[in-house]
Amino acid sequence: MSNEVYAFALKSTLDEIQNACPDVTSNFIFKDGKLIAADKNTKEETATQTIEAFDAITERADIIGEVENITIQTAQGKVNIATTNDFYLTTVSSKEADEKYVNTLTRILIPIVIKLVEKIQPASTDKETIPIEQPEPEEEAEEATEEIVEETAEETIEEAEESENEELEEETTPPEPYEEPEQIEPEINVEPLLPEPPVTQLIVENLGGLLVPSDTVRVDEEVIKHWNELYGDNKITEVEVEALNGKKTRCKFKQIKKSKDTGKGVIKMPEKIQLTLETTAGELVTVKPVVE
Amino acid sequence: MVKKKSQQETETTVIVDEDEIADTTEENQTFKDLSDKLAKIRKGKGVIGYILRNTTQATIDLQEPEKIVEYAIFSSQALDSSQEISDQFELGDVSSVLIEGKENKALCMNIEGNKISIFMEKDADDADILKKISP
Repeated sequence: MSNEVYAFALKSTLDEIQNACPDVTSNFIFKDGKLIAADKNTKEETATQTIEAFDAITERADIIGEVENITIQTAQGKVNIATTNDFYLTTVSSKEADEKYVNTLTRILIPIVIKLVEKIQPASTDKETIPIEQPEPEEEAEEATEEIVEETAEETIEEAEESENEELEEETTPPEPYEEPEQIEPEINVEPLLPEPPVTQLIVENLGGLLVPSDTVRVDEEVIKHWNELYGDNKITEVEVEALNGKKTRCKFKQIKKSKDTGKGVIKMPEKIQLTLETTAGELVTVKPVVE
Repeated sequence: MVKKKSQQETETTVIVDEDEIADTTEENQTFKDLSDKLAKIRKGKGVIGYILRNTTQATIDLQEPEKIVEYAIFSSQALDSSQEISDQFELGDVSSVLIEGKENKALCMNIEGNKISIFMEKDADDADILKKISP
Protein backbone atom coordinates (compact mmCIF):
# COMPACT_ATOMS: atom_id res chain seq x y z
CA MET A 1 0.00 0.00 0.00
CA SER A 2 2.77 2.36 0.92
CA ASN A 3 4.20 2.09 -2.60
CA GLU A 4 0.86 3.13 -4.03
CA VAL A 5 0.88 6.18 -1.79
CA TYR A 6 4.42 6.93 -2.96
CA ALA A 7 3.45 6.73 -6.63
CA PHE A 8 0.23 8.65 -6.03
CA ALA A 9 2.04 11.53 -4.32
CA LEU A 10 4.64 11.76 -7.08
CA LYS A 11 2.06 11.48 -9.86
CA SER A 12 0.00 14.27 -8.32
CA THR A 13 3.11 16.44 -8.11
CA LEU A 14 4.00 15.76 -11.74
CA ASP A 15 0.46 16.66 -12.81
CA GLU A 16 0.62 19.86 -10.80
CA ILE A 17 3.94 20.81 -12.39
CA GLN A 18 2.35 20.40 -15.78
CA ASN A 19 -0.68 22.45 -14.73
CA ALA A 20 1.58 25.22 -13.46
CA CYS A 21 3.79 25.13 -16.54
CA PRO A 22 1.97 24.01 -19.70
CA ASP A 23 5.25 24.19 -21.64
CA VAL A 24 6.24 21.00 -19.85
CA THR A 25 4.80 18.50 -22.29
CA SER A 26 5.71 15.35 -20.40
CA ASN A 27 7.39 14.37 -17.16
CA PHE A 28 7.98 11.15 -15.27
CA ILE A 29 10.11 9.62 -12.55
CA PHE A 30 12.02 6.35 -12.61
CA LYS A 31 14.40 4.48 -10.38
CA ASP A 32 16.62 1.45 -11.06
CA GLY A 33 15.25 1.24 -14.59
CA LYS A 34 11.64 1.08 -13.42
CA LEU A 35 8.95 3.67 -13.98
CA ILE A 36 7.68 5.03 -10.65
CA ALA A 37 5.22 7.72 -11.67
CA ALA A 38 4.24 9.60 -14.80
CA ASP A 39 2.01 12.55 -15.51
CA LYS A 40 -1.30 12.15 -17.32
CA ASN A 41 0.21 12.99 -20.74
CA THR A 42 3.00 10.44 -20.68
CA LYS A 43 2.37 7.01 -22.14
CA GLU A 44 3.94 4.13 -20.26
CA GLU A 45 5.54 2.80 -23.45
CA THR A 46 7.17 6.16 -24.22
CA ALA A 47 8.58 6.35 -20.71
CA THR A 48 9.85 2.76 -20.84
CA GLN A 49 11.62 3.35 -24.18
CA THR A 50 13.20 6.50 -22.78
CA ILE A 51 14.41 4.65 -19.68
CA GLU A 52 15.96 1.96 -21.90
CA ALA A 53 17.76 4.57 -24.00
CA PHE A 54 18.96 6.32 -20.84
CA ASP A 55 20.24 3.03 -19.42
CA ALA A 56 22.13 2.39 -22.66
CA ILE A 57 24.00 5.67 -22.13
CA THR A 58 24.71 5.08 -18.44
CA GLU A 59 26.06 1.60 -19.16
CA ARG A 60 28.80 3.13 -21.30
CA ALA A 61 29.42 6.19 -19.13
CA ASP A 62 32.24 4.86 -16.92
CA ILE A 63 34.65 7.38 -18.42
CA ILE A 64 32.68 10.34 -17.04
CA GLY A 65 31.46 8.69 -13.83
CA GLU A 66 27.92 7.96 -12.71
CA VAL A 67 25.48 9.97 -14.83
CA GLU A 68 23.80 12.77 -12.90
CA ASN A 69 22.19 14.80 -15.61
CA ILE A 70 21.41 14.59 -19.32
CA THR A 71 20.10 17.49 -21.37
CA ILE A 72 19.04 16.81 -24.93
CA GLN A 73 18.48 19.92 -27.00
CA THR A 74 16.49 19.74 -30.23
CA ALA A 75 15.01 22.33 -32.58
CA GLN A 76 11.54 21.74 -31.12
CA GLY A 77 12.26 21.36 -27.45
CA LYS A 78 14.33 19.87 -24.72
CA VAL A 79 14.55 16.68 -22.67
CA ASN A 80 16.21 16.75 -19.29
CA ILE A 81 16.90 13.71 -17.14
CA ALA A 82 18.22 14.67 -13.72
CA THR A 83 18.96 12.65 -10.65
CA THR A 84 17.22 13.66 -7.45
CA ASN A 85 17.32 11.65 -4.20
CA ASP A 86 18.28 8.42 -6.07
CA PHE A 87 15.37 8.93 -8.48
CA TYR A 88 15.62 10.14 -12.06
CA LEU A 89 13.24 12.87 -13.09
CA THR A 90 12.58 13.28 -16.82
CA THR A 91 11.18 16.59 -17.99
CA VAL A 92 10.25 17.25 -21.60
CA SER A 93 9.58 20.86 -22.47
CA SER A 94 8.86 22.85 -25.58
CA LYS A 95 11.35 25.42 -26.87
CA GLU A 96 9.14 28.21 -25.51
CA ALA A 97 9.50 26.94 -21.93
CA ASP A 98 11.17 29.18 -19.37
CA GLU A 99 14.11 27.00 -18.39
CA LYS A 100 14.65 28.66 -15.02
CA TYR A 101 10.99 28.40 -14.06
CA VAL A 102 10.79 24.74 -15.06
CA ASN A 103 14.00 23.93 -13.17
CA THR A 104 12.80 25.76 -10.08
CA LEU A 105 9.52 23.86 -10.15
CA THR A 106 10.94 20.42 -10.77
CA ARG A 107 14.15 20.58 -8.76
CA ILE A 108 12.48 21.93 -5.65
CA LEU A 109 9.07 20.27 -5.66
CA ILE A 110 10.08 16.72 -6.48
CA PRO A 111 12.85 16.36 -3.84
CA ILE A 112 10.49 17.83 -1.22
CA VAL A 113 7.72 15.36 -2.09
CA ILE A 114 10.16 12.43 -2.12
CA LYS A 115 11.52 13.42 1.30
CA LEU A 116 8.04 13.98 2.70
CA VAL A 117 6.78 10.62 1.51
CA GLU A 118 9.91 8.93 2.85
CA LYS A 119 9.26 10.48 6.25
CA ILE A 120 5.60 9.61 6.27
CA GLN A 121 6.06 6.15 4.76
CA PRO A 122 9.54 4.95 5.75
CA ALA A 123 8.64 1.37 4.74
CA SER A 124 8.10 2.46 1.14
CA THR A 125 11.82 2.59 0.42
CA ASP A 126 11.94 -1.17 -0.13
CA LYS A 127 12.83 -2.51 -3.55
CA GLU A 128 9.39 -3.66 -4.59
CA THR A 129 8.10 -2.56 -7.96
CA ILE A 130 5.90 0.43 -7.49
CA PRO A 131 2.69 0.21 -9.48
CA ILE A 132 1.99 3.12 -11.79
CA GLU A 133 -1.12 5.06 -11.01
CA GLN A 134 -3.64 5.08 -13.81
CA PRO A 135 -5.11 8.48 -14.60
CA GLU A 136 -8.42 8.86 -12.79
CA PRO A 137 -10.78 11.67 -11.87
CA GLU A 138 -10.00 13.50 -8.65
CA GLU A 139 -13.24 12.43 -6.97
CA GLU A 140 -12.47 8.79 -7.58
CA ALA A 141 -8.97 9.31 -6.27
CA GLU A 142 -10.34 10.80 -3.06
CA GLU A 143 -12.76 7.90 -2.66
CA ALA A 144 -9.93 5.46 -3.26
CA THR A 145 -7.83 7.15 -0.58
CA GLU A 146 -10.73 6.88 1.86
CA GLU A 147 -11.14 3.21 1.00
CA ILE A 148 -7.44 2.61 1.54
CA VAL A 149 -7.63 4.29 4.93
CA GLU A 150 -10.66 2.22 5.88
CA GLU A 151 -9.02 -0.97 4.69
CA THR A 152 -5.91 -0.16 6.64
CA ALA A 153 -7.92 0.48 9.77
CA GLU A 154 -9.72 -2.82 9.36
CA GLU A 155 -6.46 -4.64 8.70
CA THR A 156 -4.89 -3.07 11.76
CA ILE A 157 -7.80 -4.16 13.97
CA GLU A 158 -7.68 -7.65 12.52
CA GLU A 159 -3.94 -7.83 13.00
CA ALA A 160 -4.26 -6.59 16.57
CA GLU A 161 -6.90 -9.22 17.31
CA GLU A 162 -4.79 -11.91 15.69
CA SER A 163 -1.71 -10.92 17.65
CA GLU A 164 -3.76 -10.95 20.88
CA ASN A 165 -4.95 -14.47 20.10
CA GLU A 166 -1.41 -15.50 19.26
CA GLU A 167 -0.13 -14.09 22.52
CA LEU A 168 -2.70 -16.14 24.42
CA GLU A 169 -1.62 -19.26 22.55
CA GLU A 170 2.02 -18.49 23.03
CA GLU A 171 1.65 -18.43 26.79
CA THR A 172 1.30 -22.20 26.64
CA THR A 173 4.13 -22.71 24.15
CA PRO A 174 7.91 -22.02 24.34
CA PRO A 175 8.63 -18.28 23.89
CA GLU A 176 10.52 -18.57 20.56
CA PRO A 177 8.28 -16.28 18.46
CA TYR A 178 9.11 -13.39 20.80
CA GLU A 179 11.73 -12.32 18.31
CA GLU A 180 8.97 -10.21 16.75
CA PRO A 181 9.66 -6.98 18.65
CA GLU A 182 13.11 -6.87 16.99
CA GLN A 183 11.47 -6.86 13.57
CA ILE A 184 9.11 -4.10 14.58
CA GLU A 185 11.92 -1.99 15.99
CA PRO A 186 13.05 -0.29 12.77
CA GLU A 187 9.55 1.08 12.17
CA ILE A 188 9.61 2.97 15.46
CA ASN A 189 10.87 6.40 14.65
CA VAL A 190 12.86 7.51 17.68
CA GLU A 191 13.82 10.87 16.21
CA PRO A 192 11.06 13.45 16.26
CA LEU A 193 9.92 14.56 12.79
CA LEU A 194 11.56 17.86 12.06
CA PRO A 195 10.26 20.16 9.35
CA GLU A 196 12.33 20.46 6.19
CA PRO A 197 14.91 23.28 6.62
CA PRO A 198 13.43 26.36 4.98
CA VAL A 199 15.48 27.72 2.10
CA THR A 200 15.80 31.49 2.12
CA GLN A 201 17.09 33.49 -0.81
CA LEU A 202 19.31 36.40 0.18
CA ILE A 203 21.51 38.95 -1.56
CA VAL A 204 25.21 38.86 -0.78
CA GLU A 205 26.79 41.90 0.83
CA ASN A 206 30.43 42.30 1.73
CA LEU A 207 31.48 41.83 5.34
CA GLY A 208 34.88 43.20 6.23
CA GLY A 209 36.88 44.55 9.11
CA LEU A 210 39.78 43.60 11.34
CA LEU A 211 37.86 41.62 13.92
CA VAL A 212 35.48 39.92 11.52
CA PRO A 213 35.81 36.10 11.60
CA SER A 214 36.28 34.72 8.09
CA ASP A 215 34.12 31.66 8.71
CA THR A 216 30.95 33.41 9.85
CA VAL A 217 28.16 34.99 7.84
CA ARG A 218 25.64 37.44 9.20
CA VAL A 219 21.96 36.72 8.62
CA ASP A 220 18.83 38.79 9.15
CA GLU A 221 17.33 38.61 12.65
CA GLU A 222 13.88 37.79 11.24
CA VAL A 223 15.23 34.78 9.39
CA ILE A 224 16.98 33.45 12.50
CA LYS A 225 13.81 34.01 14.55
CA HIS A 226 11.84 31.97 12.03
CA TRP A 227 14.35 29.10 12.28
CA ASN A 228 14.20 29.15 16.08
CA GLU A 229 10.39 29.05 15.97
CA LEU A 230 10.52 26.07 13.62
CA TYR A 231 13.08 24.03 15.47
CA GLY A 232 12.61 25.15 19.06
CA ASP A 233 15.12 23.31 21.24
CA ASN A 234 17.13 21.93 18.34
CA LYS A 235 20.45 23.65 18.16
CA ILE A 236 21.30 25.55 14.98
CA THR A 237 24.94 26.54 14.91
CA GLU A 238 25.63 26.45 11.21
CA VAL A 239 23.99 27.31 7.93
CA GLU A 240 24.38 25.85 4.47
CA VAL A 241 24.86 28.53 1.85
CA GLU A 242 24.47 27.70 -1.84
CA ALA A 243 25.35 30.00 -4.71
CA LEU A 244 23.48 30.06 -8.01
CA ASN A 245 26.34 28.13 -9.63
CA GLY A 246 25.59 25.21 -7.31
CA LYS A 247 28.64 25.68 -5.06
CA LYS A 248 27.82 25.04 -1.41
CA THR A 249 29.48 25.62 1.91
CA ARG A 250 28.64 25.27 5.58
CA CYS A 251 29.60 28.03 7.93
CA LYS A 252 28.77 29.60 11.26
CA PHE A 253 26.30 32.44 11.41
CA LYS A 254 25.41 35.44 13.52
CA GLN A 255 22.70 38.02 13.48
CA ILE A 256 23.21 41.17 11.42
CA LYS A 257 24.40 43.89 13.79
CA LYS A 258 23.30 47.13 12.18
CA SER A 259 19.60 47.76 12.41
CA LYS A 260 19.64 49.60 9.06
CA ASP A 261 20.60 46.32 7.37
CA THR A 262 17.87 44.21 8.91
CA GLY A 263 14.80 43.21 6.95
CA LYS A 264 16.51 43.89 3.62
CA GLY A 265 16.94 40.26 2.62
CA VAL A 266 20.71 40.40 2.68
CA ILE A 267 23.42 38.09 3.95
CA LYS A 268 26.70 39.67 4.97
CA MET A 269 29.55 37.48 3.85
CA PRO A 270 33.34 37.64 4.37
CA GLU A 271 35.48 37.56 1.23
CA LYS A 272 36.82 34.06 2.01
CA ILE A 273 33.35 32.51 1.87
CA GLN A 274 32.51 34.51 -1.25
CA LEU A 275 35.60 33.03 -2.90
CA THR A 276 34.61 29.50 -1.85
CA LEU A 277 31.16 29.99 -3.36
CA GLU A 278 32.53 31.85 -6.36
CA THR A 279 30.01 34.59 -5.74
CA THR A 280 30.23 38.32 -5.18
CA ALA A 281 28.28 41.11 -3.56
CA GLY A 282 24.92 41.69 -5.22
CA GLU A 283 24.43 38.07 -6.26
CA LEU A 284 21.76 35.78 -4.90
CA VAL A 285 22.44 32.81 -2.63
CA THR A 286 20.17 30.41 -0.79
CA VAL A 287 20.57 29.78 2.92
CA LYS A 288 19.17 27.03 5.08
CA PRO A 289 19.84 26.11 8.69
CA VAL A 290 21.79 22.98 9.58
CA VAL A 291 19.69 21.39 12.33
CA GLU A 292 21.50 19.12 14.77
CA MET B 1 28.78 15.30 -66.49
CA VAL B 2 32.07 16.59 -67.73
CA LYS B 3 35.08 14.74 -68.92
CA LYS B 4 38.36 15.83 -67.42
CA LYS B 5 41.83 14.79 -68.25
CA SER B 6 44.17 14.03 -65.45
CA GLN B 7 47.84 14.48 -66.33
CA GLN B 8 49.72 11.65 -64.69
CA GLU B 9 52.64 9.45 -65.59
CA THR B 10 50.38 7.53 -67.89
CA GLU B 11 47.54 9.46 -69.38
CA THR B 12 44.17 8.22 -68.11
CA THR B 13 40.64 9.45 -68.76
CA VAL B 14 38.69 9.98 -65.56
CA ILE B 15 34.94 10.51 -65.47
CA VAL B 16 34.03 12.87 -62.66
CA ASP B 17 30.65 13.71 -61.16
CA GLU B 18 30.81 17.44 -60.40
CA ASP B 19 27.98 17.34 -57.84
CA GLU B 20 29.75 14.62 -55.93
CA ILE B 21 32.97 16.61 -55.96
CA ALA B 22 31.14 19.69 -54.72
CA ASP B 23 29.51 17.70 -51.88
CA THR B 24 32.77 16.10 -50.85
CA THR B 25 34.60 19.40 -50.95
CA GLU B 26 31.90 21.05 -48.86
CA GLU B 27 31.92 18.14 -46.39
CA ASN B 28 35.69 18.29 -46.17
CA GLN B 29 35.59 22.03 -45.63
CA THR B 30 33.05 21.68 -42.76
CA PHE B 31 35.17 18.94 -41.25
CA LYS B 32 38.28 21.11 -41.51
CA ASP B 33 36.51 24.14 -40.00
CA LEU B 34 35.22 22.05 -37.09
CA SER B 35 38.62 20.48 -36.65
CA ASP B 36 40.20 23.95 -36.38
CA LYS B 37 37.57 25.14 -33.90
CA LEU B 38 38.02 22.00 -31.79
CA ALA B 39 41.79 22.40 -31.73
CA LYS B 40 41.27 25.87 -30.23
CA ILE B 41 38.65 24.62 -27.76
CA ARG B 42 40.98 21.79 -26.72
CA LYS B 43 43.41 24.40 -25.36
CA GLY B 44 40.67 25.84 -23.14
CA LYS B 45 40.44 25.39 -19.39
CA GLY B 46 39.09 22.04 -18.26
CA VAL B 47 38.80 20.45 -21.72
CA ILE B 48 39.94 16.82 -21.60
CA GLY B 49 39.67 16.06 -25.28
CA TYR B 50 37.42 15.57 -28.28
CA ILE B 51 36.35 13.21 -31.01
CA LEU B 52 35.29 14.46 -34.43
CA ARG B 53 34.17 12.05 -37.11
CA ASN B 54 32.10 11.79 -40.24
CA THR B 55 31.57 8.94 -42.66
CA THR B 56 35.04 9.17 -44.16
CA GLN B 57 37.42 10.65 -41.60
CA ALA B 58 38.01 11.18 -37.89
CA THR B 59 40.14 13.31 -35.60
CA ILE B 60 40.72 12.34 -32.00
CA ASP B 61 42.59 14.25 -29.33
CA LEU B 62 42.25 12.85 -25.83
CA GLN B 63 44.16 13.17 -22.59
CA GLU B 64 43.95 9.39 -22.12
CA PRO B 65 44.69 7.90 -25.57
CA GLU B 66 44.58 4.37 -24.11
CA LYS B 67 40.86 4.87 -23.50
CA ILE B 68 40.00 5.92 -27.06
CA VAL B 69 37.70 2.95 -27.59
CA GLU B 70 35.71 3.66 -24.42
CA TYR B 71 35.35 7.32 -25.34
CA ALA B 72 34.33 6.47 -28.91
CA ILE B 73 31.72 3.91 -27.83
CA PHE B 74 30.27 6.29 -25.25
CA SER B 75 30.19 9.13 -27.75
CA SER B 76 28.36 7.05 -30.34
CA GLN B 77 25.92 5.63 -27.78
CA ALA B 78 25.16 9.07 -26.37
CA LEU B 79 24.18 10.47 -29.77
CA ASP B 80 22.20 7.41 -30.86
CA SER B 81 20.26 7.05 -27.58
CA SER B 82 19.57 10.78 -27.42
CA GLN B 83 18.04 10.64 -30.89
CA GLU B 84 15.93 7.67 -29.75
CA ILE B 85 14.69 9.70 -26.77
CA SER B 86 13.96 12.70 -28.96
CA ASP B 87 12.00 10.49 -31.37
CA GLN B 88 9.88 9.20 -28.49
CA PHE B 89 8.67 12.72 -27.83
CA GLU B 90 8.62 13.75 -31.51
CA LEU B 91 11.12 16.53 -30.98
CA GLY B 92 13.02 16.10 -34.24
CA ASP B 93 16.77 16.06 -34.78
CA VAL B 94 19.03 16.41 -31.77
CA SER B 95 21.23 19.48 -31.95
CA SER B 96 23.24 18.89 -28.78
CA VAL B 97 23.45 16.60 -25.77
CA LEU B 98 25.11 17.41 -22.49
CA ILE B 99 25.82 14.44 -20.24
CA GLU B 100 27.07 15.27 -16.79
CA GLY B 101 28.76 12.52 -14.83
CA LYS B 102 30.04 12.53 -11.26
CA GLU B 103 33.61 13.10 -12.50
CA ASN B 104 33.42 14.72 -15.94
CA LYS B 105 30.93 15.77 -18.56
CA ALA B 106 30.52 15.35 -22.29
CA LEU B 107 28.99 17.63 -24.90
CA CYS B 108 27.91 15.78 -28.05
CA MET B 109 26.65 17.32 -31.27
CA ASN B 110 25.88 16.49 -34.85
CA ILE B 111 26.78 19.29 -37.20
CA GLU B 112 26.01 18.61 -40.87
CA GLY B 113 26.80 14.92 -40.52
CA ASN B 114 29.92 15.53 -38.44
CA LYS B 115 29.59 13.89 -35.03
CA ILE B 116 31.39 15.76 -32.28
CA SER B 117 32.01 14.82 -28.66
CA ILE B 118 33.87 17.16 -26.37
CA PHE B 119 34.93 15.84 -22.97
CA MET B 120 35.57 18.25 -20.15
CA GLU B 121 35.92 18.61 -16.41
CA LYS B 122 32.79 19.26 -14.36
CA ASP B 123 33.45 22.95 -13.86
CA ALA B 124 34.28 23.70 -17.51
CA ASP B 125 31.97 26.15 -19.27
CA ASP B 126 29.95 23.91 -21.60
CA ALA B 127 27.66 26.76 -22.72
CA ASP B 128 30.64 28.75 -23.93
CA ILE B 129 32.07 25.71 -25.75
CA LEU B 130 28.71 25.06 -27.41
CA LYS B 131 28.62 28.66 -28.57
CA LYS B 132 32.12 28.41 -30.01
CA ILE B 133 31.50 25.21 -31.93
CA SER B 134 28.01 26.01 -33.23
CA PRO B 135 27.83 27.23 -36.84
